[in-house]
Amino acid sequence: MSLRKLLSSTTSADRILFLLLLLLSFSGILFVREVLPGGRTVQIEVNGRPAYVLPLDKDRALTVEGPLGKTLIEIKDRRVRVTESPCHNKLCIQQGWVRSGTIICLPNRVVITVGDHDKSTTVDATTG
Amino acid sequence: MDTIVTITAVSTARDSAEKAIDNAFSEIRKLEQLSNFFSPDSEISKINRNAGISEVKVSPDIIALLEKALYVSEKTAGAFDVTIGPVERLYDFHRRIKPQEDEIRKNLPLVNYKNLIIDRNRSTVFLQKKGMLIDPGGITKGYAADRAADVLREQGIKSGIVAVAGEIRTFGLKPDGKPWKIGIKNPRAKDQEDDIMATIELSDMAISTSGDYERFFIADGKRYHHLLDPRTGHSAGGCKCVSIIAKKGVFTDSFATGIFVLGPEKGMKVLEKLGFDGIIIDSQDEIHMTPKIRGKIEFKKTAEQYHFS
Amino acid sequence: MQPRDKYRIALLAAYALGLHGFESLLPTPIPWLRLGLANLITLITLLLYGLRPALMVTLIRVILASLFAGTFLGPSFILSLGGGLTSTLAMGFALFAAERLFSPVGLSIIGALFHNIAQLFLAYFLFIQRIEAILLITPVILLLGTLTGAVNGVIASLLINNLKKTAQKIQNGN
Repeated sequence: MSLRKLLSSTTSADRILFLLLLLLSFSGILFVREVLPGGRTVQIEVNGRPAYVLPLDKDRALTVEGPLGKTLIEIKDRRVRVTESPCHNKLCIQQGWVRSGTIICLPNRVVITVGDHDKSTTVDATTG
Repeated sequence: MDTIVTITAVSTARDSAEKAIDNAFSEIRKLEQLSNFFSPDSEISKINRNAGISEVKVSPDIIALLEKALYVSEKTAGAFDVTIGPVERLYDFHRRIKPQEDEIRKNLPLVNYKNLIIDRNRSTVFLQKKGMLIDPGGITKGYAADRAADVLREQGIKSGIVAVAGEIRTFGLKPDGKPWKIGIKNPRAKDQEDDIMATIELSDMAISTSGDYERFFIADGKRYHHLLDPRTGHSAGGCKCVSIIAKKGVFTDSFATGIFVLGPEKGMKVLEKLGFDGIIIDSQDEIHMTPKIRGKIEFKKTAEQYHFS
Repeated sequence: MQPRDKYRIALLAAYALGLHGFESLLPTPIPWLRLGLANLITLITLLLYGLRPALMVTLIRVILASLFAGTFLGPSFILSLGGGLTSTLAMGFALFAAERLFSPVGLSIIGALFHNIAQLFLAYFLFIQRIEAILLITPVILLLGTLTGAVNGVIASLLINNLKKTAQKIQNGN
């Protein structure tokens, strides 16, 4: 069956549905990218406890100390990455720059999440 | 110590700040070596080994630490007691082990802060009965936070936070001129989202929290947690968490433990007598607060399950 | 049900399983991006024999596939089952309520759409309670589903056409 014949075997309902869904999904993708631009805050957890909640838009470099040693984290241009890590496989560094989502270093128990952690609970330290 | 220590220093000079922070960490490490219950080389272990035998000469930090511990014991009528070692050892919260009644009964007489003798002049400490053990875990972290903050200030840092696990000492204001914002953990957080139930702004104050959710296990419907009542040898009921705010971490740490054991009513009375601020969530989910901080604590939506009387 | 029908369903289910197995052997860069070739069989069953046989073929295929994979009653089983049944019902409904409105291509797109919607729902309620994560991936899933649905629909059309031609030939006493 030739392509032309195939296309003509599709009904107008088919074509409308197809285009509609394409449109919907594309606009959804663009919407998501604009409204949720990966998040505004970076949360760094060490050993399962939140160590820092930092804004994504302020460039900075910091070290956190896990059971294996120091992990160097860099926030720049609204992205975050792990620059140095004492772990064996360096998977966390391989992830490169992350604009949204998570970077995990399992051996050194460091979890970095880019999200929209409620700004008003951005605390400087936690007791409890 | 298996604890996370976070030091934040505000400074315009990066190098001197880093140096100050390194020194502060060293101070904390030094204190840890002196006071570690689990390390045979620590001064505390030396005192413990010589219980009922002889007094032990120790460094000024340990003298200061234990003197303050005794002070807290007196003010809480023994609800806080560093000599709780023999009974504490009977529990293993990791492996879900709790002692039998007779084991507790056998060891309870060894728990009594009045048998801890400090001689300031000779800088010695003596435990009067054989088998007594000091575990200063309930006060060292706060003390270490204070000392680290002192080191920072001595080296010219004007504001910062030292957090030794959940024992926090703040001084000065943040670069934007606002006080430091401290989150208080929700004792019954179901997941990461409800982790913090309230925030409070502090400057030049310390805050510590004792909670029944830090080290515990549940057996036969009962919760066995690490905040033991030195007078009975059992996990103290009455409260879910206690947070104390005062000028020094050594006191917030130890009083948080002591007041937790005393329970909400007696605990609040002691707080008021001391002039400290604090917040207690009791076992019925009722919130008690000292009058001065009522306006300063901001409860989050996650604290919905707790109510005021 | 005639033995002949049971035989048919078994055969179709086997084809579906075979396709599923074959497809899962293919290497892909993106783990969960699959054409869902087994759904092809479901669609063809629906078109040739009706809704009930189609549902049975889907059910059998999902159960057997998860038994063979060792994930029976596990999360992927739940998702496959939910997605498969919902999409089959949706396609059946579209076919019989609006006769001839959609060609196999359109039906397949509808199938894929409902398959994904059902899986997103199930994933949210049963596994990942974070609505932001779900909402974040929905548009992408929608897009991929639409495209794979269309491709599947095309293949189904071709197959049906071929089958019809072959049936014709047989009838004509080739």
